[in-house]
Amino acid sequence: MAMVDVVVLVAGDGVNRAIPAMLLLLVVLLAGLLGGRLVALGVALVAAIGFAVLLPPIGSPRVEPAEDVAALVLFVAVAAIAGVLLSTIVLSDRRRLSAEQGTVEALLRVDHDRAALLRSVSHDLRTPLATIRAAATDLQGFDHDPAARTHLLDLVIDESERLDRIVGNLLSLSRIEAGALLPERQPVDLAELVAACAARLERATSKLTVEVRAAEGLPLVKVDYSQIDQVVANLLENAARHAPPGSVVVVDVERVGESVRLRVTDQGPGFDPSVRGRLFEPFASATGSGSSGIGLAICKAVVDAHGGTIAADDAPDGGARITVEVPIDG
Amino acid sequence: MAEADVVLIDDDASLASVLAVGFESRGYDLRIAATGGEGLREIERREPDVVILDLGLPDIDGIDVCRHLRQRTTSPIIVLSADGAEDRKVRALDEGADDYLTKPFSMPELLARVRVAVRHRRALAAVAHDEVLSVGDLAVDTAAHEVALAGRPVELTPKEYALLMLLVRNVGKVLTHRAILDQVWGPDQPLDTLRTHVSHLRRKLGGGAGAPQLVTAPGVGYRLLAPGDVVS
Repeated sequence: MAMVDVVVLVAGDGVNRAIPAMLLLLVVLLAGLLGGRLVALGVALVAAIGFAVLLPPIGSPRVEPAEDVAALVLFVAVAAIAGVLLSTIVLSDRRRLSAEQGTVEALLRVDHDRAALLRSVSHDLRTPLATIRAAATDLQGFDHDPAARTHLLDLVIDESERLDRIVGNLLSLSRIEAGALLPERQPVDLAELVAACAARLERATSKLTVEVRAAEGLPLVKVDYSQIDQVVANLLENAARHAPPGSVVVVDVERVGESVRLRVTDQGPGFDPSVRGRLFEPFASATGSGSSGIGLAICKAVVDAHGGTIAADDAPDGGARITVEVPIDG
Repeated sequence: MAEADVVLIDDDASLASVLAVGFESRGYDLRIAATGGEGLREIERREPDVVILDLGLPDIDGIDVCRHLRQRTTSPIIVLSADGAEDRKVRALDEGADDYLTKPFSMPELLARVRVAVRHRRALAAVAHDEVLSVGDLAVDTAAHEVALAGRPVELTPKEYALLMLLVRNVGKVLTHRAILDQVWGPDQPLDTLRTHVSHLRRKLGGGAGAPQLVTAPGVGYRLLAPGDVVS
């Protein structure tokens, strides 16, 4: 409609003015599209001056009869409204798009995290499964001597236990994510818990010597037994994975103020500086092999849920050291 | 003398222990390396008949180990991967691996792959300079460009012949789609070209008892197996 008005009005003084008027309108629209409202307004004014003064013959003012003044005012009005409207539409469109893009990026991030989780979980599950399947199929297909049979069966048992621990960790992780990791507290003798856990993991840690050093007269601590057991198991398994065969892992249990401190020190290479800051994040230690690295993340979540602290540093003589403190009264 | 000398490069001590029992019970020598670096040193020490290489190693990426191995030895490499990711397998094959197996695998399956690798390595070493290459009942006269199956001539187009030659020269080895396309047709050829030629070649080779099998490695490529070497 607006354009038709301009055409009709300028047509009074000859059609040759319609084309420059439309061209100038186009410039205003473009300004609105690219530059925004203020630019569109400014360009509309400049275009009006151009329309009045700069058209050929250059310098001879066109604004004589009343119709021309009306045409000029209308041109400015139409150009300004069209330019501003267009820029408004473009602006809101851009806003919507950038909001959508933000959502899409967030979704992609979640997707990426999930993919990483699935990848490392399937890797974690397949590692013990590889041993179990190879051993079981070999037992079925070959007449091994009794010693070899026992050895293969032991490996099947060990790896199925390892699988069970991984599944336990995964369940904990899902509880943590659902915010449902509530400790069921009961008075626990931590020294006893550590000793029982170390005994249970004896085969998994068989290449190491695990030494439990519990201080005398430790108080009972109000914690969730199975959750803290999982923390100790993860720490021992971690040590077994990284410390050299034949080395010693020491678990110290002692009272520090109103807390009990558990400290696991190995004689391995210590923490890789590149993952040190992210040790307690899930998947931080995910390397080519070993573990997806959810173990330490679970330790931290459990310790946090108990109102305690967990920290990692290097022991004075090199190895990795993880210190957990949980308050005695919960 | 041992059945064969095998080097296993895998950091999973439990699996290595199972394989040690399985291989040694069957008369193989199994040398175990827990890292890529150790594996490379083991191979330098003495060239094995077969290398079994896990792609997920703590020190060096398995693909890089594969490349280094290939620069130092012609021993067949069987790659183990814990992830089902096809692209890792394809990259390993392109870097010189001969075969792959996804964890978890069965012991008979791994042993069958090792047997195939050992046999083909020995067979290839024996016929390296022969003009007539044979796989089962298939005979390829490389000088005359003639192919015969159980004594009967097989008519092949030039591209089919080139494809067959590549497969015969690499018998037992998994060749990736890309590797085959590049060597037979040159770059930028669609996969369908290869599929069509493979199906023609299969028809012409037939499925007879003495005929070699052109086996599909799903999502990865193809390989030619001698009759009797066909493994799941």
